[in-house]
Amino acid sequence: MKNTPTWLVVCAAVLVLWQSVAFARDQFKLTIGHWAFDDLSAQNLAVNVQLTKQGLIVNASADSIVLAQPLGVLKKVTLQCTKLVLLSGQTNCAAGKLGFIHKDFGSQSIAFSLQAMPKQARYQLSVSNLKFADANFTILTNYDEQYWQATVATTEASLAKLVHTISPYLDEAQKSMITGWNFDSDLAVQANLSGHQQQFDQLKLELKASALTLSDAQGKYVTENVTMELLFDLALQKKAWQWNTDIRLKSGQAYAEPIFIDFNDAALSLQASGDWQSTGQHLVISDAQLNHDNIVHLQASYAGSLQKIEALAITIKQADLAKFYPVWLQPFVLGTAADKLETAGQFGLVFKQQADTYQLSVNLDKVFIDDEKSRFGIYDLNGDVAWSNNQTKTQSELAWQGGYVYAVPFGESNLKIEAQSSSLSLVEPWSLPILDGALLVNEFSLHNAIDEKTQWTFDGLVTPISMESLSAALGWPLLHGKLSGVIPKVSYVNQQIQVDGALMVKLFEGTTVIRDLRLDKPFGALPQLYANIDLTGLDLEILTQTFDFGKITGKLDGRVSDLRLSNWQPVQFDAHFATPDGDKSRRRISQKAIDNLSQIGGGVGGILSRSFLRFFEDFSYQKLGLSCILRNATCAMSGVGEAKQGYYIVKGGGLPPRINVVGYTRQVDWPDLIERLKAVSQSSGPVIQ
Amino acid sequence: MTLFKWLSTSMAGLMLVSCVTINIYFPAAAAEKAADRIIGDVWGEEAKPSAAPVPAEQSNNSSSVNMPIAVSVLNWLISPAAAEANLNINSPAIVDLQNKMKVRHESLKPYYDNGAIGLTENGLITVRDAKAVSLKDRNTVNGLVADENKDRTALYAEIARANGHPEWQTDIQATFARRWISNATAGWWYQTSGNWQQK
Repeated sequence: MKNTPTWLVVCAAVLVLWQSVAFARDQFKLTIGHWAFDDLSAQNLAVNVQLTKQGLIVNASADSIVLAQPLGVLKKVTLQCTKLVLLSGQTNCAAGKLGFIHKDFGSQSIAFSLQAMPKQARYQLSVSNLKFADANFTILTNYDEQYWQATVATTEASLAKLVHTISPYLDEAQKSMITGWNFDSDLAVQANLSGHQQQFDQLKLELKASALTLSDAQGKYVTENVTMELLFDLALQKKAWQWNTDIRLKSGQAYAEPIFIDFNDAALSLQASGDWQSTGQHLVISDAQLNHDNIVHLQASYAGSLQKIEALAITIKQADLAKFYPVWLQPFVLGTAADKLETAGQFGLVFKQQADTYQLSVNLDKVFIDDEKSRFGIYDLNGDVAWSNNQTKTQSELAWQGGYVYAVPFGESNLKIEAQSSSLSLVEPWSLPILDGALLVNEFSLHNAIDEKTQWTFDGLVTPISMESLSAALGWPLLHGKLSGVIPKVSYVNQQIQVDGALMVKLFEGTTVIRDLRLDKPFGALPQLYANIDLTGLDLEILTQTFDFGKITGKLDGRVSDLRLSNWQPVQFDAHFATPDGDKSRRRISQKAIDNLSQIGGGVGGILSRSFLRFFEDFSYQKLGLSCILRNATCAMSGVGEAKQGYYIVKGGGLPPRINVVGYTRQVDWPDLIERLKAVSQSSGPVIQ
Repeated sequence: MTLFKWLSTSMAGLMLVSCVTINIYFPAAAAEKAADRIIGDVWGEEAKPSAAPVPAEQSNNSSSVNMPIAVSVLNWLISPAAAEANLNINSPAIVDLQNKMKVRHESLKPYYDNGAIGLTENGLITVRDAKAVSLKDRNTVNGLVADENKDRTALYAEIARANGHPEWQTDIQATFARRWISNATAGWWYQTSGNWQQK
């Protein structure tokens, strides 16, 4: 169309039908059936000009005017200027009215005033009562020798209708930005724009939304009934856009995955200023203040492109962890061990980044952390934790009053650490009191580079922890002895803790050595523990006394290999317990113990008490032992030797009376066996008749 | 005599083949039975195994596809112990996980019902339509989904380990994936070939 104005003018001339031209002394009337010029055409155009003392009265109308796309057709167009003054070089229309019907903008009756001085290149246009999206728009424009200003103000407009109406006028890129979004709100706008020639120089925008409801296609960014006040200033200075903004969100709710904020509980405001260089796509945020009422006050600054950070600084001076955690932390750690915590205390944070290097320092003040599932906790934690991915060494120190890991409590301690290149290490050896002993750590190092999983290792030793206190903490029967060990290396990689070396437990006068200890996902849904355990020289008398099993004297050796605990319950092992070869100790077994052993082996208790043997308090034995290979909830049992159709659990020997206990059940349901053991430990012993 | 020779050679060969088969066979039917039992318990009354279950895919290791008839016969004679072995799902760890999932299902159910959550093809769940969840509940639901997936993954691994075959985890997960979908209540959403479908 742009190449066709000439022929259009010709066509228009041909098509123009002078229906009537009337001249009177004070009046001029012109009617044109069809008029066209360039992309513009009009049907039944009528112009009526009347001369009065105040000036001219102009009335014009057209059945329709076709404008360039996308505006299209205006119907029933009327133009009225009741006071048109034409002076030398100046045209004024103080009170004009423009009416039309448009498919998108509806029926309009717009008031306007116009002042034009073409010679001086000065124009003023004010428009009011432009009805659009349920609101009245007022527009003031001023053009003075290349410099222009415009002010747009609305009463509360419907955002949904506004977007719906203007969307046909957007380009593809703008359209794709809003595709799938739902908008609903009443929005009052006041905007001042100014510039010169084609250049736009300054914007002052004020937006007020009473119930802003937005949602993207996936529901990742949603607001519901948010009351928002937004001020935004933009000015071009020295080829850069200086901007500052003030956003206040007072009521309603918002969700920006994964953060959910209820502004009714705590209002949120953001003040920020900076500049933007559109040529280099360079953004500077010189000062941003985010204030989430009573939850967090955050200061930030930024320099860089939209893709790459040159400098970033974030500071939180002090925040209440109990309020901060559920809103700003928990959503990011869902699915990890830290996703259900009860927290208390204050914290502060300083984060600084220059290009690819960053430093983080977190200050903790009287922090309490408790896992809701009671898997771990730490109390009264104070101090700093520093972290950086560069070469600079930063030392920090943490201290706490106590805490626990599962049922095992630990005590007051402090930790001096040094951070460098995404790693942490100890400045000096660290001692963590555990019950009445301690874990001494000589070397510790933690590494967590970006995109890598956390790994740490340490070496140290466990100073003796009394089994009395450990068994009490774990809810076991009271055990006597000591737990200690030298740990050449404990490493954590890929959610797996591997303990090299051995833990030694002095238990029942013997030695229990735990090797190849491995913990898989210690705080996961199903922690797995793997180990091999060797037991030597256990004193059966103390052991049977502890478990109230019925007295047995003698020694016992054992080996539990391929042990696997799932959620701290044994689900697999090869366990063999037997009197050691060449045992020189006195080996006697009481009636109660025999009864209990036969019950475990699947026999009936109380047989002895029904025979003449009930007159003997105990019996001598040559060897006793029991094996259980646990697989698939079934224990494959055997004893110290094969007997006719069974296996010996106790093989008699020495001075009479001798007694053999023979087990016949080879496959025992593991839960059944546990029940039997429980029954044994609760039984009051055989009845002597 | 020739017949005897032929027979003994064939038998020896066949036995060799079938021995290999027995050792590496994934008990698909038993796994389905185990999955149905757990799903029935976790989802409760509403979950009823559908009349026409999705046919179990044979494990790649299984040689039952294109097997010579003689081998099949021999397999039938020799391998029932392996093929019919029940999967143990009674270990305390499995029962504990199952109970946790059962309790959680009470909270998840409304979101299966309204389509917010769907069953994925790999035996897990995911938020399908976040818009169906009120804003304040979004993170609760995200948390429930994360917890459920953690437990489901642990469950598949534990069943494999408890039965002495950690390498079965993928097969068990695949079996469960089919059975969750088969057992799902009408109206729930599930994924097939990356697309969402409603039961």
